[in-house]
Amino acid sequence: MTTTSTVPRQTVKPPAVHRSFVERWLARIFLAPTVLGMALFTFLPIIASLVLAFFRWDIISAPQFVGLDNFAVLAQDPTVRVSFLNTIVFVVVAVILQLGIALGLASMLQARMPSWLRVFLRSTFFFPLVLSAASVSIFMRYMFNEQFGVVNWLLSLVGIPAVPWLTSPTASAAVVVLVYVWQNFGFSFLLFLGALTNIPKELHEAANLDGATGWKQFSNVTLPLISPTVLVASVMAIISALQVFDQPYVLTNGGPGDSTRTAVMVIFESAFQQLEFGKASAIGLVLTVLILAVTALQFRLSRRFVFYQ
Amino acid sequence: MTSEKTPGQQAPSHPLQSSKLSQLTRRSMLGLGGLALAGATVGAWPRLTGADIPGRGSKALNIAILGTAADAAGRQGLIQAFTAAHPDIPVQLQAIQGADWKDFFSKILTMVAAGTPPDVVYVATEGAQLFADKLAEPLDSYVRRDAAQMSDYFDDVHPSLLEAFMYQGSLYQLPLDWNAANMYLNTTTFAQAGLDRPKDDWTKDDFTATLRALRKARPADFTPYYWTNRLFGGVVPWLYANDTSFLSETKAPGGDWLWDSFYPNDPARATRGGGYQWLGPNAEDGRVIETFDYLRELVAEGLGVRPESGGGNALVGLFGNNRIGTTPAGGYWAQGLHEAGMTADQFDVQFFPRWRTQRHQFGAAGYAIMRTAKDKDAAWEWVKFCSSREAMQLAIPKPNTTPTRRSMVNESFYSATGPRHWKVFYDTLDKFPTSGPIPAPPQQAAVETALMKNVSTAVSGSSADVRTAMGALQRDLELALRRKS
Repeated sequence: MTTTSTVPRQTVKPPAVHRSFVERWLARIFLAPTVLGMALFTFLPIIASLVLAFFRWDIISAPQFVGLDNFAVLAQDPTVRVSFLNTIVFVVVAVILQLGIALGLASMLQARMPSWLRVFLRSTFFFPLVLSAASVSIFMRYMFNEQFGVVNWLLSLVGIPAVPWLTSPTASAAVVVLVYVWQNFGFSFLLFLGALTNIPKELHEAANLDGATGWKQFSNVTLPLISPTVLVASVMAIISALQVFDQPYVLTNGGPGDSTRTAVMVIFESAFQQLEFGKASAIGLVLTVLILAVTALQFRLSRRFVFYQ
Repeated sequence: MTSEKTPGQQAPSHPLQSSKLSQLTRRSMLGLGGLALAGATVGAWPRLTGADIPGRGSKALNIAILGTAADAAGRQGLIQAFTAAHPDIPVQLQAIQGADWKDFFSKILTMVAAGTPPDVVYVATEGAQLFADKLAEPLDSYVRRDAAQMSDYFDDVHPSLLEAFMYQGSLYQLPLDWNAANMYLNTTTFAQAGLDRPKDDWTKDDFTATLRALRKARPADFTPYYWTNRLFGGVVPWLYANDTSFLSETKAPGGDWLWDSFYPNDPARATRGGGYQWLGPNAEDGRVIETFDYLRELVAEGLGVRPESGGGNALVGLFGNNRIGTTPAGGYWAQGLHEAGMTADQFDVQFFPRWRTQRHQFGAAGYAIMRTAKDKDAAWEWVKFCSSREAMQLAIPKPNTTPTRRSMVNESFYSATGPRHWKVFYDTLDKFPTSGPIPAPPQQAAVETALMKNVSTAVSGSSADVRTAMGALQRDLELALRRKS
């Protein structure tokens, strides 16, 4: 079966709406606060950041035009290179885990179970999302402490030696991913839950009659039907993961070494600790281009796997 | 449009629905909404315009400290005493929260960028050169002018503390509190291991033997040596003890005006200059590698923890529960351990172990006058007042830091908290006068980041990894120091 439409797309011209002069101005007045807010607090900083990428500025002295020097510094700075590489690896691992866990748990909640249990699980899965990332990370930092943390204490009960969770490059990266995924999968989970609930039961019944069960039914019926949601969830998850900051900053401060340092962390450190606003803006610009490119690629590729009813 | 009932609409069943409220036209509702918005805007005007930011639009001397609102409230006595002495200088104290000094300095710089800089800022050694280089006003002329009044302060304060706030020959701050990296000892665990308090001149090897004995007595659930990965109390005290540092250390010329006027009899007068300079990286120096390798060995042998970044917030509790044997800390810990329930005989303090030298690391803090201060003379009056004995006793009523005035570090100050050998705190300077401040050039933030990230890799692998990590540290420091602050 297919859910793609066979009707060719047509450009439908909307009917002309004639509004009075007063209504037009009222609309503008009501829109003004939002437009002004966006202009002042979103577009202006973006433009300022774009311009700043070509200057050296430490807040205190006057900005000095340096052309492409900031970008040249980025290319030479191993920390910046490593942070981008870390970010990309983090995005791949965290997003796959986040979407996989969210989809798995949302599917699980479709199974027959008492409604109170469903409500309880739904709340439990969503709960981490409402917590402050910094608070969660501080808490986790204590839990994963090598010497005194509860995680190693639990492992010691079954004879497993202490793991240097936050002081070994591999383990610390794993902890950062784990904490991030635990805290963020709730949003994708809710999206998937909504999408799964909206699938007409008849489609699954028809698939059953055709002999499709289990994985076949999931891959041929469920997944295509929720593919628009998968696209939205993955775009949002990737954009969010590309901007990860709180968890690595609080848990490991980017270490050990640079093993958990992310691009946004380097932006923060460059701007607000090292007073290199030009360099920070240049990194921000590169990150923005990366986010735009990844998002555009996703939408481009989505033509192959997203099906709209 | 009207509010008349449209065809098919049900008659209101609830009394409220038939009230005058329901008869309001959309236009009236919009008008009311507009009025409400205007009212809210007028009410929130001070917030919207930032007029409620402390110090803005006020003629009061605006002073920024690192801390919470409670910390600011705790200094009300100090402000009252100042106001009594200077009724013509209104003062406003602003506590700015931050996880550490780096965070605090970032916020001050943001205030500078926003056009609302404070007039006076409490700055620690970590930011002393950053402020001196960019933001602070030299105090030389004020100190010279009020030399007669200031002599009481200089007579009571060790010159090393002043030298830490000299920059290119000028003095930028009067240090009010300070802490050296001494070694705290958990006497309960020492007793369990059959150990006495070590001698004043104990060595690095004595220290290792002590840790081994502690480990033997408590094989599990215990850390003989706990240290954190940061500039104060991390690897630096070990580097100083090994007569080296990760940055090359020199002294700027100048400063004679201060030393000749106030410290003519200083035994270390010949070594004093115009302030410390950290101009180049020194991470690949043989002694630096040797020091890192020693710490790596401690970690590998299970005698020391792999250092975590940041401060040791959980450390007081762990030390109080006898799960830590030794850790480097300053006088600020006495009050903390007391509040954690430790009695004066349950912990003690000793000098840092000797290696090639027994030079210690210290950090200090004091007020800096901003170049943008509205009234610099008034700001100096605050700085001068805070250096008086009366003001320092009001500002530091408990041993949650070490006062820079030697006369205040006395028996009564530590009577409620301990430790028994509290004299160690000030003796660190008196017995080891070459002790130096935290290495903090104007590019301190970048330097600290470079150090912290390479410390953790250096002590977590093999001996060969130390050399690799020091190569990386050298490269990172070169990059950091090349930048203009």
